Amino acid sequence: MNLSFYLQHYNYWICVSLFMIGIYTMIAKKNIIKKFMGLNIVDTSIFLFFISMGDKRNAAAPILHAENEIIVNNYVNPLPSVIILTAIVVALGLTATALSFAVKIYEEYGTLNSEKIERLW
Amino acid sequence: MNKLAPTFVVLVIGLIMAIAVGDMPPFGALNSPASSYLSPYYIKEAYDVAGVHNIVTAVLAYWRGYDTFGEVTVIFTAGIAVMALLGRE
Amino acid sequence: MIWVLDILLLILLPLTAIVVVRSRDLMVAAIVYSIYSFDMAIIYTQLNAPDVGLAEAAVGAGATTILFLIAITKTERMEE
Repeated sequence: MNLSFYLQHYNYWICVSLFMIGIYTMIAKKNIIKKFMGLNIVDTSIFLFFISMGDKRNAAAPILHAENEIIVNNYVNPLPSVIILTAIVVALGLTATALSFAVKIYEEYGTLNSEKIERLW
Repeated sequence: MNKLAPTFVVLVIGLIMAIAVGDMPPFGALNSPASSYLSPYYIKEAYDVAGVHNIVTAVLAYWRGYDTFGEVTVIFTAGIAVMALLGRE
Repeated sequence: MIWVLDILLLILLPLTAIVVVRSRDLMVAAIVYSIYSFDMAIIYTQLNAPDVGLAEAAVGAGATTILFLIAITKTERMEE
C-alpha cells in the first residue's frame, strides 16, 4: 500500500467517488428530478469504469490505419466501447420515460417532494 | 439519526467498492485479463470479416447486429411510453 | 505533460457532481450537469474511445439536458 498503488488506479478512485455522490443523491434528496440526476451520475460513473478498463498504454484508437500487418498492442480494446455505446442510448430512454412520469405526477398531485407524494397517496 | 443514515449507507458502499478496486490490474496494463483474453481476435479479424476500418462499428453492426436491433426496440418502447403518458388525443 | 490535463479533467468531475447535488435551483443543476457530461465526453476521447465520446457529447450533454430543461419548465423550478 504505497503511493504508486494509488497513482496506478486514479481513474478507478474517481469512479468510486462519483458512484458514492450519485447514490447519496438518490437516497437523501427529496425532489424526484434531483433523484433522476443522481441516477444519471451513477450511470456515467459506471461508463467511465468500463472505458478505463479497456485502455492500454501507448496505444491508439481502434481504427485500422493501413493494410499492413496488425499489431494487437497498438490498438485499445474495442469491446468496452461497443457495450457502452449501447448503454448510453438505453440511459437516454430511461431518463425520458422517468421524466415523463415526473411531469404526470406533478399534474396529479401538485408537488415533486417524494414524502408529500407518499402522504397524499 | 435520520439525517446520518444516507451517509452511513454511502460509506459502506464506498468501502466495499474500495476493496474491490484494490484487486484491479493497474491502469493501462497491456496484459490485463480484459485485454488479453477475447479482444485480440476482434482486432485481428475485423477487417477481413466485415471489411470496415473502424473496429467498433464492425463489432456493433456485424457481430452484434441483433443486440443493436434490440437497442432500437428499447428506444421505440420508450417513445411509445412517453407518447402514451404525455400525448393529447 | 498530457497527464496534467488528464488529472485536471478528472478532478473537475466530482466538483461539478457536488454542485449538481448541492444547488437548490434545478435549472442551475441541469446546466451544470451539461458541463459534467461534456467533461466526461472529453475524457472518453482522451482515453482513446472516440465513438463513445461523440455519442456522449450528443446524447448526454445535448439530449438529456434538453429533457431535464423541458421537465423543469413543465413543473416547478425551485427545490423546497
